[in-house]
Amino acid sequence: MSSLKTTVTGYAGYRGREGQLSFLLHRFTGLGTLLFLAIHILDTATVYFIPSLYDHAIALYQSTLFGIGELALVFCVIFHGVNGLRIAYLDMFRPKDWEIRRQRSGVRATLAISMVLWLPAAFIMLRNLAIHNFGMFGG
Amino acid sequence: MATITPAPVRTIRRPSNYENAAWRWMRYSAFLLIPLAWGHVLLQDIIVGVHNMDINYVAMRWANIGWRIYDILLLAFAFAHGVNGLRQVLFDYISTSTTRRTLSRVLFAFWLVISLIGAIAIFGGVRMD
Repeated sequence: MSSLKTTVTGYAGYRGREGQLSFLLHRFTGLGTLLFLAIHILDTATVYFIPSLYDHAIALYQSTLFGIGELALVFCVIFHGVNGLRIAYLDMFRPKDWEIRRQRSGVRATLAISMVLWLPAAFIMLRNLAIHNFGMFGG
Repeated sequence: MATITPAPVRTIRRPSNYENAAWRWMRYSAFLLIPLAWGHVLLQDIIVGVHNMDINYVAMRWANIGWRIYDILLLAFAFAHGVNGLRQVLFDYISTSTTRRTLSRVLFAFWLVISLIGAIAIFGGVRMD
């Protein structure tokens, strides 16, 4: 088993540009979403097992810190999905496009599409935070 | 700029074993998760928003059998996709087959316990005090 140090220095030092960036982002967004998902299944399950706890869990999610985490989470779900669709499309319909130059433009397009989908979502979530946590916009 | 050689496309025969099934599971669950997970995020985080949620909201939502089916599907596909993804990531750092087998079993138990807790809650519904 390679050490954590080897992994981190390897990831940081390897200059794989867009292809490596997309690999790393796919990994981190997937693992990040899984971490939240495991917690989220358990917190939702309190409605059946310990109903008095549920509103406390939701109160935590309504905090500013978790609100920022929610912005990150939504980006993770969007990017992981768009990039996953790119991978599946290339595998199934364009296997010859698994080639560095195409990869580079593909990864850039994936990031652009993810941002286009994420920015309006982020705007709405930030607005909700401003209204409910900071009393702005007549909240 | 250095010249880039296109990677040759190779064809291989796929053995039909557990890893092959796991790989196909990742691909097909992914297609279902695009509408399921994105729909869930769009509804709960964007349209409703976490500030408008409490236990009564969950009760209202789960009063509709359609949403319970939706949530069961999301639970089944998303969590198994995620845990198998974690397994694939960890396999990158584990080379011995005994450790891999142990890890697979631990992750399977982890997946089973959390999925059961989630499924019992969805079937059982909201218990108001």
